Amino acid sequence: MDPIFAWIESSALSEWIRGECLCAFPTIITIHTICMGLLAGGSSAIDLRILGFAPGIPLERTLGFLPVLWVAFAVNAVTGTILLIAYPTKQLTNPVFYVKVALIAFAVWLFYRVGKEIALSPEVEQKSISGKAKVLAFASLASWIALIIAGRLLQYTHKWEMLGVPSLI
Amino acid sequence: MEIAAWELWVRSTWLHKLVVQHEPWVWPACEIIHYLGLSLLLGTVGLFDLRVLGVAKGIPLRAIHRLIPWGIAGYILNILTGIVFFAGHPDQYFYNNAFRLKALFMGVAGANILAFYGTNVFAEMKKLPDNGIPSLQTKIIAGTSLSMWIAVLVCGRLLTFFRPPFFH
Repeated sequence: MDPIFAWIESSALSEWIRGECLCAFPTIITIHTICMGLLAGGSSAIDLRILGFAPGIPLERTLGFLPVLWVAFAVNAVTGTILLIAYPTKQLTNPVFYVKVALIAFAVWLFYRVGKEIALSPEVEQKSISGKAKVLAFASLASWIALIIAGRLLQYTHKWEMLGVPSLI
Repeated sequence: MEIAAWELWVRSTWLHKLVVQHEPWVWPACEIIHYLGLSLLLGTVGLFDLRVLGVAKGIPLRAIHRLIPWGIAGYILNILTGIVFFAGHPDQYFYNNAFRLKALFMGVAGANILAFYGTNVFAEMKKLPDNGIPSLQTKIIAGTSLSMWIAVLVCGRLLTFFRPPFFH
C-alpha cells in the first residue's frame, strides 16, 4: 500500500471517522448528501429558468439564492475532504474518483460563470437571454447530472478488500 | 425467523426477480436515478420553501411556484426507484427503524402538501402582489416542507446503518 495513504489511514482522525459512532461517517455523509441535493438541485433550477422554464422568475433575483448554494458547496468541500481522510486508498486508487473531482471543478466553475452571466446582464428581462447564458446553463445541468452519476458509482467501483476495512455500506 | 406472508408475496413478483438477477447494474442505476430525483426535489421545492421563508425576496411566489412540477417529477422518480429497492430487498427496509421513520416523515410531508393545496392557503398565496409577504400559515408550511424533505433524506441516507441483522 502507498505509504502516504497508509499514514492517513492510520491517523486518529481517519480511524475515528471509520469508527462505530453514528456521529462520524454516517452523519458526515448525510450532510454531504443534503448539501449535494441543495447545490446540484438549486443550481439546476436556475439553469432551467435560463433555459425557459418558469419564465415569470426575474432572473437577476435568483442571485439571492447563490449565497445559500455557495455555503452548501463549502460544506461539501469540507465533508468531502473528511470522507477522503477516512478512506484514502479506497478513493485515490479508483479512477472514478478523479473523474468525480474533475466534474466537481467543471460543475462549480459553470455555477460561478452562470451567476456572473446573470449579474452582468441585470436588464435581461427586457432583452432575450443570450445564447452564451443558455449554453452555460445547459452545460451546468449536464455536469451536475454527470457528477451525481460519478459520485454514486464510487460506491460500486472501489475495492474494499485491498484495505481490509469492512464495508460500512 | 419465519418469512411473513407479505414478504413471500413481494419475493414472488417479477420485479423482485429482476432486481436480484441483475442486481450489479439495476441497483446502481436506480441509486443514480434516486439521487438525481432527490436533487430535483430538494432543488426546486427547497428553493420555493426558502423563498417563502424570506430568501431571494424579489421573486414573485407565483413565479417560483412554477418550478414545483420539476420537484414532482423528482418525487415520482424516487417513488418508482424506491419500489424497485423495496421489491429487491423487502426485509432490509421493512424491519428497519430508519425506513419506518422515513415513511413517517413522508407521511407528514404529504399531509403538509394537503394543508397547502387542500385549503385556501395556496389560493391566497397566488393572489398576493409580486412583492407581497406570505402569510404565517404559508411560512409554517414551507418550513415544515423543507425540514420534512431533509428528514426524509437523512433517514434514507442512514438506512444502511440500521439494517436488520438478518437477510432472508
